[in-house]
Amino acid sequence: MTSSVDTVTPTQTVQAFLDAFAAHDVDAAMAVVDPRVSVTVHPLGVHEQGAGALRTVLADLLRGFPDLMITVSRVITTGDVVTALLTAEGTQAAGYAGAINTEKHLDIEQAWRFTAGGGLITDVAVYWCQAQLYRRLAVKRYDEISIA
Amino acid sequence: MTGTSSAKTTRTAEAAAGVVTEFFDRYRVHDVDGMTDLFSINAGFSYIPVEMWGKQRVLRGEGTVGTVGKPLWFGLIASFPDLSNTVHTVLSNDDGDVVVQADIEGTQQGAWGLITPAGKHYSEPHLFIFHVGPDLLIDRITGYWNDAGISQQLGHHEVD
Repeated sequence: MTSSVDTVTPTQTVQAFLDAFAAHDVDAAMAVVDPRVSVTVHPLGVHEQGAGALRTVLADLLRGFPDLMITVSRVITTGDVVTALLTAEGTQAAGYAGAINTEKHLDIEQAWRFTAGGGLITDVAVYWCQAQLYRRLAVKRYDEISIA
Repeated sequence: MTGTSSAKTTRTAEAAAGVVTEFFDRYRVHDVDGMTDLFSINAGFSYIPVEMWGKQRVLRGEGTVGTVGKPLWFGLIASFPDLSNTVHTVLSNDDGDVVVQADIEGTQQGAWGLITPAGKHYSEPHLFIFHVGPDLLIDRITGYWNDAGISQQLGHHEVD
């Protein structure tokens, strides 16, 4: 007998994650994440193991930008690896990544590279440019991020 | 037999990955002309983090390989004469999509944008998305990385 998770493709798993993230439903997004997921978010210097790390990344984004809009432009499937190209847009409403809230709007193009199997995401590596993010939030120096 | 014969190519996931692997091999030895030979004539180029904000306009790393990519690669190699890459993963599919995780590194010997050379070294993770056409030429390259990481490694702490 085949269980339902065996018939879920990596693309479907990642799409479920992205849909939930876009809907600001962190719990639903984390429902398709392996508890031992490997999490790398290069611009934030995050290299951790465990779903808690990914939950924090999502929650921080949504707290910093409560009107966050995720627009996925492409989803590329290469075996069990699914890469999503997306744009994150939002208006800052709280401190984020050290930057104080100046109520600026940002739009950042990003790439999220997932590995998925058995209905769960087991690895995620996220790429965006923190220089673009700080530029849009009016941060002047990397060594004085909180002084806008 | 009439007409001319030409070698037929078949685009498979493996063949597409092979073309992209060759791109990084040529990049590693600074063969920019050889790199661009792997692209179709009007191949699209998009280096997402590249943007220079002026008073009245923003210059972005968007265009074609011939008009934006090639000059940018020449400039990078001029400023970082030991520029190199380490490819970690190359994944592809039969549609010609190729996703590459690679580190790009180099030691700054010349000005790069607003960053004055201080002889510092950087190494930064990159994600590249390629599309290889049925003729086994790359028709699009897109790059993602954290430019803030590079700036800080080079000792440049202004957010330009």
